[in-house]
Amino acid sequence: MKPLRLSLLSAAVVCAVAPAWADPTQPLQGIRDNSAQLLAFTGAVVHTEPGKMLSNATVLVQSGKITAVGTNLKIPAGFRQIDVAGYHLYPGFIDLYGQYGVEKAAATSHGGRGDGPMYQNPRKGGNAVNAAIHAEQRWADSFMPNADEAKAYQQQGFTTVQSARQDGIFRGQAVVASTGKGLPGELILKADGQHFLSFDPGSSKQSYPSSLMGSIALVRQTLADAQWYQQAYGKADWRLFREPVPFNSALAALGQLHQIGLVFEVNNERNLLRADSLLKEFNLPKVALVASGYEYVRAADVKKTGRNLIVPLAYPAAPSVGKLDDQLDVSLADLRHWERAPTNAGALEKAGVNFALTTHKLDDKAKFWPNVRTAIKYGLSTEKALAALTTVPAELIGMPGQLGRIASGYQADLVVSKGDLFKDGEIVATWNRGVETQFKPLQNADVAGDYTLNVAGKALKLSLTGALGKVEGKVLSAEKGSDKEAKLENLSVDKQQVQFGFSLKDVDAGDGVALFSGSMAGNLLQGTLQLPDGSQQALTLSRQAAVAKADEKKAEDSTLLSTLSLPNQAYGLSSAPQRQNVHIKNATVWTSDKAGKLENTDVIVRDGVFTQIGKNLKTPSGFVEIDATGMHLTAGIIDEHSHIAIESGVNEGSDAVTSEVHIGDVLNPDDINIYRGLAGGTTTAQLLHGSANPIGGKAQVIQLRWGVSPEALKFKAAPPSIKFALGENVKQSNWGDNYTSRYPQSRVGVETTVRDAFQAAKEYKAAWAAYDDLSSSEQKRTVPPRVDYRLQTLVEILDNKRFVHTHSYVASEILMLIKLADETGFKVTTFTHILEGYKTAKEMKEHGASASTFADWWAYKMEVKDAIPTNTCLMADQGVVVSVNSDSPDLQRRLNQEAAKSVKYCGMSEEEALKMVTINPAIQLKVDHKVGSIAEGKQADFVLWSEHPLSVYARAMQTWIDGTKYYDRNIDMTLNASIEREKQQLVQKVLKAPDSAKAGSGGEMKKPEPIWHCEDNGDYLDLAFGRVAGAQQHAHQHNQQH
Amino acid sequence: MNFKLNSLSLLCIAAFAAPALATSLVPAAAQQGAVLLNDATLHTVSNGVLENTDLLMVDGKIAAIGKDLSAPAGGTVVELQGKHVYPGLIALANQLGLVEIEAVRATDDTREVTDTNPDVRAQVAYDAQSDVIPTVRSNGISYSLVFPAGSLLMGQSSLMQLDAWNWQDATVKSGVALHINWPNASVLSSPWNPKKPEDVAKQNAEALQKLYDTMAQAKAYVDAKKAGAIKALDSRWEAMIPVFSGERAVFAHAEDARQIRQAIALADKYQLKLTIVGGRDSWRVADELAARKVPVIFGSPFGIPERDDEAVDTAYATPAKLAKAGVTFALAIGSYWDSRNLAFGAGQAVAFGLDKEQALAAVTLNAAKIAGVDDQLGSLEVGKAATVVVSEGDILDYRSSKISSMWIDGRAVDLNNKQKDLHQKYQQRYSR
Repeated sequence: MKPLRLSLLSAAVVCAVAPAWADPTQPLQGIRDNSAQLLAFTGAVVHTEPGKMLSNATVLVQSGKITAVGTNLKIPAGFRQIDVAGYHLYPGFIDLYGQYGVEKAAATSHGGRGDGPMYQNPRKGGNAVNAAIHAEQRWADSFMPNADEAKAYQQQGFTTVQSARQDGIFRGQAVVASTGKGLPGELILKADGQHFLSFDPGSSKQSYPSSLMGSIALVRQTLADAQWYQQAYGKADWRLFREPVPFNSALAALGQLHQIGLVFEVNNERNLLRADSLLKEFNLPKVALVASGYEYVRAADVKKTGRNLIVPLAYPAAPSVGKLDDQLDVSLADLRHWERAPTNAGALEKAGVNFALTTHKLDDKAKFWPNVRTAIKYGLSTEKALAALTTVPAELIGMPGQLGRIASGYQADLVVSKGDLFKDGEIVATWNRGVETQFKPLQNADVAGDYTLNVAGKALKLSLTGALGKVEGKVLSAEKGSDKEAKLENLSVDKQQVQFGFSLKDVDAGDGVALFSGSMAGNLLQGTLQLPDGSQQALTLSRQAAVAKADEKKAEDSTLLSTLSLPNQAYGLSSAPQRQNVHIKNATVWTSDKAGKLENTDVIVRDGVFTQIGKNLKTPSGFVEIDATGMHLTAGIIDEHSHIAIESGVNEGSDAVTSEVHIGDVLNPDDINIYRGLAGGTTTAQLLHGSANPIGGKAQVIQLRWGVSPEALKFKAAPPSIKFALGENVKQSNWGDNYTSRYPQSRVGVETTVRDAFQAAKEYKAAWAAYDDLSSSEQKRTVPPRVDYRLQTLVEILDNKRFVHTHSYVASEILMLIKLADETGFKVTTFTHILEGYKTAKEMKEHGASASTFADWWAYKMEVKDAIPTNTCLMADQGVVVSVNSDSPDLQRRLNQEAAKSVKYCGMSEEEALKMVTINPAIQLKVDHKVGSIAEGKQADFVLWSEHPLSVYARAMQTWIDGTKYYDRNIDMTLNASIEREKQQLVQKVLKAPDSAKAGSGGEMKKPEPIWHCEDNGDYLDLAFGRVAGAQQHAHQHNQQH
Repeated sequence: MNFKLNSLSLLCIAAFAAPALATSLVPAAAQQGAVLLNDATLHTVSNGVLENTDLLMVDGKIAAIGKDLSAPAGGTVVELQGKHVYPGLIALANQLGLVEIEAVRATDDTREVTDTNPDVRAQVAYDAQSDVIPTVRSNGISYSLVFPAGSLLMGQSSLMQLDAWNWQDATVKSGVALHINWPNASVLSSPWNPKKPEDVAKQNAEALQKLYDTMAQAKAYVDAKKAGAIKALDSRWEAMIPVFSGERAVFAHAEDARQIRQAIALADKYQLKLTIVGGRDSWRVADELAARKVPVIFGSPFGIPERDDEAVDTAYATPAKLAKAGVTFALAIGSYWDSRNLAFGAGQAVAFGLDKEQALAAVTLNAAKIAGVDDQLGSLEVGKAATVVVSEGDILDYRSSKISSMWIDGRAVDLNNKQKDLHQKYQQRYSR
């Protein structure tokens, strides 16, 4: 047997073998290296590709490429044999999401809020308009191999990594490189890798975007700009455009996105779904999404995207629960995620999602394989795991014929493992294109098995167990009925040589210790046994059967204690609530309609619609009966102004006009405040952008359906709307000394800002009309107008397709906007907050505007010094449609009480007061044809109250939307106990868990979302992506500001 | 539709005082003749609800309660058939009169720098002319305990009556308590600046150490002074003398269970007369609070759950839990303008399990007890201050809370306010 000729002395040996592909342009230093590059790996268990395995096989490698693989291959002359008998060979692994060999971004807090805002990106060359866009970066151009980083990859078997700097929203074009050694150019397998993207502006100091919806809008606008740039750049006819299209390397670089493909990183499963739909708007096909670790929660939705995933295996640390006090800060959601994070890959496999694995997010790459095995324990198949490391990523980077398999013609990237890597194997060497990096000496063929021997007339059995290098053994008496055994002492297995000693006495074979030295070849162990008297006995021991390696570790319990619900947190639902047909009997019905208040009345709900209202109705068969004797029935409560269920930022509080951003892009169906709102009888809410800019973002009307997808929250019957704002917030009065530069800084500038924006929108609309009128040949010659989502939204307003709800307080600004709207040609649908509405009720009525106000708030800032709690009555007296809104998840639980305040302060009739939270806001949201009252034919949104609905003593007992019960107080009151029970079980599990499971491996828990307020205008992305927020703009010393 | 201001309230005002513009509201003069409130429903708090009963006010005190009382000669009889009479409500722990417009710094006298301000007294900045005060008063609130904000040792609170010329005649009791802003112990309190639990614990420990050090320093001064061993007065530690003697209570502003337990421990060490203010988690430690007889001013009757895992009605139901555990508690709401919703906070607690009488006590007699004035205020009892509020109906419910009159120490209070003025002013605009 030929000994290995490679150095076995040090781990990670730098091999003296020339790399397979050398740079011919590099001038020679010294003598040429023309070492032979012919290798034959023999005797290995070769995993040629997922699901295919050859035992005792040979792999031939020539000049860094595999030339043959087989079980009965003859080793051609001149090939250096590498005996890897008993070892497992895998194709080199591929990590699609790395930062290998690229310079990392400096760790800075986005926005540098303490230093004040930065509204513009300094322009340099053809860089992008936004500092979070680095699409022009081609990371191959600065790729620099790094021995330490390479080793960390190789030790886990990764031979290929796709890398770009993980910084910014458009992160540039990645480079696919080998982790082997050589000159940068030699190692680059693909200079034009995929573009990396995310929603995280990273080190950008530009104020925009400061919210998730801003990030989404920026991606959308940039992708549209890239398409436009393709058509526009270089064209001479720019009649519809003010000037020649300027050079822009970032947009130019994105021109090939369809062909090149992209990798989009997200930080939670909701953002994964958002990224998918955003990219679908642009029909981008070659997309891989870097998963967050939370995808198991919505695995079916993830499957529906049809996207490929790149899945990290970084698990979170356990929440601290060691001290009783600690538990006050621990949520059920975090405990559940700690337990279930290792199930993510398995859940995705089960859902049929195609994915690759990545070391991304691991705090230590050395935890990769232990984590793979944990994932396998929790449901990931070994076949899928291998595919996720080889064939899948090879396919995704467009190199399926070069990487990912051990097959002829493939790159000789090999992983040599002592034992099955998916069980407890250990990587001893990684080969990059035929060049070895070794971590452990290759040694010791597999000696495990049973052997019989005869010593001093006694039949004995030698039993060797364990993995290579970690062998244990014993000698047993083979005589019937004997349980004598001797432990092997000084057992050493070094390459082929096996040595040990054992006590003869322990096996009744004499006194003293016998020593053995021999050599393993195939199934024969041949050698010499020295007995205590010095005599030697030649032995040829034949392995009878290779026994299965003893499973030394008792299989860890993989039972899951946590429940999986939607949302996966306290009060989440295990199954979606079903619509029911119901007969509500004998209630006091507040119709909020012409019928008024009806005593002892029945209501029948069929297929989500009120079908019959009357006395003593007959129960249709199969209908659920609800005895509502003594109870009050009202329409579901509607909130014109809410900021619940919004993810990562209520304001895009950077630019003065941000009509391109959309609350509908960032709905968060997992916000507990949805459930809390239901508990207060609220069924519909308009989610508004905050009040940081004169023209804010697009709003979204939702129904408070708990436990659904973001899309299912949307109230389809509601037409589009948008938030404007006037006054102190938009002129940055209370933002601090750093915020005095943005136009406008006063109410006079608010008017011009809005006026000019609409003028721009009109010109934009005209430009498109002019372009559309051109003949197609002229269109080809002409620079087309650029799609501008910001202006497009304003065009929708002018076209009466989107409706304005404007935050406003004082009389002057109310009159200003009415005048401006009349002159510009749009309507203000609702003035919201409008605490001085009573001063301008006449003008609002004439304009056709409605009013949504606070019941009794005042004094918290200068512009509310004249607020009065009788505002509602005075406006209603003038014929204005008035509602009261919450603007807070707290008040949203008791809008009935807010309505009742007008009964107290100005004697409004109780029926009219209730209309302020039912039909009136329905009118304002233009959904009054559907909801807001209890009338035959309307959608069955209703609340059953324990008492008179305007009484402080009333509790919402049941809340229904569309004939579906979403809240039941009697059930709710039992939930807390089960939540506590589950928490305690998980706390116990954490307390008993091994340290490694407690410490985690770099995975993260979701960042808690604050309760959003109108004027919160800090950098939410810093918060969402884990940078400490710095100087946040939110001033809630004790009172709310709005 | 034509909504009017509660005309009854205007009528009642007319009966006792000339209606004044809110900007020139005149504090009522001392009670001259006797006033007999005839045939009302008296919510005595200390002695249940008395139907069709009379209450006689003489020289600013309640002189008699009973059926068929008659007014002394020269006295006034106010017919209150079907109406409800309550002791004037007491709003605890707010900054009424210390701040006018929250966002305007110049109008804010709520806090001082440094965290050792035991000598700071809230009442000296109390603006009796504040436009906000009459809006609170007209909801039935007659007294307010105002405290200075800040960090650690924030200063002393004072109990103010809400119909006064200036802070001096407004002050009912000064130096009610030393207020301590307890060091934060919860990660949940700073969602904008997320911190790891271990970092919060560390910061809490550091701040707590500082508090202990401060207390030790104060105690050393007090002991040295007793021994005649000080060279010069220290204004701060002088103010701690009544704190260590138990004469002045300590109100610890603590929301989290950990903070509450820490406050109890400090009180044990120095034998402080402790009350918890805020007490968001007080239901979690209700038994401990009851056993140690530590009262609570529960500040979140309308609170939203602090933690995602908590039941939606956690805060609503807390008063009932405190009552069940036997904790003495009062309710408080808001920081200044919003304290006018105090009675409804008590109503909310009733909706979620608290007995109605206990709810009323939580904004009257228990509040007086905690402020140390229950010998004079908080219930309708002979000999106590003639501070009463008349409501058309149940004062705890929006539907029936219509405050028609109020007497503070027998003085008929003008219930007009700036907001009512503005209402009338703009009614004029539309009637032309």
